[in-house]
Amino acid sequence: MSWEQFIYFAIAAVLLWIVGAWAAWKSKTTVAYVTTALGLLVFLSFIISLWISLERPPLRTMGETRLWYSFFLPLAGIIVYSRWKYKWILSFSTMLALVFICVNLFKPEIHSKTLMPALQSPWFAPHVIVYMFAYAVFGVSTLMAIYLLFKKSPTSTLNAQTSLDNLVYVGLAFMTFGMLFGALWAKEAWGHYWSWDPKETWAAITWFAYLIYIHYRRLPSHKPRLAMWLLIFSFILLQMCWWGINYLPSAQGSSVHTYNMQ
Amino acid sequence: MRRGFLIGGGLILLGLMLQLGVGPVMWDTLAWPVNGIVMAAFLLLIAVCYLLRKKVSLCRFVGTYQAAIPALVYAVVLTIVMGLIRQNPEGRWLDNMLVFWPFVLIYVYMALILGQVVIRQFVTAFSHSRFHLPNFSLLSHLGLFLAMTTATLGNADMQRLKMVTTIGEREWRAVTPYGTIQEMPMTIELKQFIMETYDDGSPKRFASEILVRTNDNEEIQTTIDVNKPVEVDGWKIYQYSYDTQMGPQSQISILELVSDPWLPLVYTGIYMLLAGAVCMFIFGGKKK
Repeated sequence: MSWEQFIYFAIAAVLLWIVGAWAAWKSKTTVAYVTTALGLLVFLSFIISLWISLERPPLRTMGETRLWYSFFLPLAGIIVYSRWKYKWILSFSTMLALVFICVNLFKPEIHSKTLMPALQSPWFAPHVIVYMFAYAVFGVSTLMAIYLLFKKSPTSTLNAQTSLDNLVYVGLAFMTFGMLFGALWAKEAWGHYWSWDPKETWAAITWFAYLIYIHYRRLPSHKPRLAMWLLIFSFILLQMCWWGINYLPSAQGSSVHTYNMQ
Repeated sequence: MRRGFLIGGGLILLGLMLQLGVGPVMWDTLAWPVNGIVMAAFLLLIAVCYLLRKKVSLCRFVGTYQAAIPALVYAVVLTIVMGLIRQNPEGRWLDNMLVFWPFVLIYVYMALILGQVVIRQFVTAFSHSRFHLPNFSLLSHLGLFLAMTTATLGNADMQRLKMVTTIGEREWRAVTPYGTIQEMPMTIELKQFIMETYDDGSPKRFASEILVRTNDNEEIQTTIDVNKPVEVDGWKIYQYSYDTQMGPQSQISILELVSDPWLPLVYTGIYMLLAGAVCMFIFGGKKK
């Protein structure tokens, strides 16, 4: 299995997810579950066969992490749907997943087989996968914040705000796992658990930014709309941590996290 | 919240004055036992601040959301500056945030707030006639407090040395980051350097078969891989580098030796934070 076959799996998965999103709008809950799950299965089977053929976890290049992101978005979507039954959530997650799939189809990056010794660790897969899941959950929560800010009147959205909080808690929990797995791994690989490497600095920034949101929301006198803007702003900081630092002059040549740029 | 922003702003001003007056933060002066004394004094400050909370309004304020949120905002802003400006270990201002007083003071202030919250949540859990299950965020707060303070204070006691080992020779001298030689309490003999490459010549694996002899005449034969350090007498030995010109024929292997006596405390904090995150995932933001 290789990237050449990706398009077939991607089309099949996206079609299934679109049917699922449509079924959610039409309140056909069972159809929505089954088709979204099937789409996830198709997509996951591509990831696993790519993993086997590469003889390493597909987690190194940006293209490979986008692959996981496209997988986790509908997964986060279906989890949110199962808990709070938003009709629109599957459309959103499918659209976002489609964007990342298209980037992978039209801007493929060089996918090499080699994995340098520093990345050969049992920490590698959990560190990145957990982070990608957190990013996907935060992506969904950002879309939800935008939706609430511009589409709905603030009075009818108390429930929506609470579920937004729940999403952020899930995302933050996984982001904490990702960051601390990274710290424990760094101790084994580089001799220190935290070195203020540019990637680590931006990871700390993002983590603190989401901490501001959850603490601000617990303040009785808070402004809900400002809280949603905080979420959007945090997600912008997250982009910097994820891929922005690859283009940031201050991080050039000084980050040990730029494996994907070679 | 205005008060919180004012306090943070005041700390930044104070930091700037310190920066001008005494120069960058000298972390090396915190080597044991100074860091132990500083830790004890800081814990005492937290306790006194908590005890005075009913008498002094500032002490009461420090444990509130209105204090925590501005502190986090300042921390984010200063850390963003750190992320945007290239950091240089020789730097003295924004180009070396870790020795920049305003940055350090804001993080210390954050630790002080964390300390207040930890005590309050702890006391709340035990204050009723019978034990109440503590709020799960106590785990996260205490874990972060422990990891942050001990990692920062323990840094001065951490030693990171490089040792160049040659096949068939016993080596006991290592080089400090300052370029001076330090004698180790053990000798390391490189038995064999192992290297495997991919088809394109890039390294797939490099490792050292070594024989360590400690001062107690204990002999340990082991292999050190990247990502698989070995611990001997409190020193973690890492595969660091080799003669890259020679590649698989390299006759030397460069090892890194790391000693970090505060690591168990930092790890306790990290594991508590992890446990706190598990609780956060399960219970979410549910209010009781």
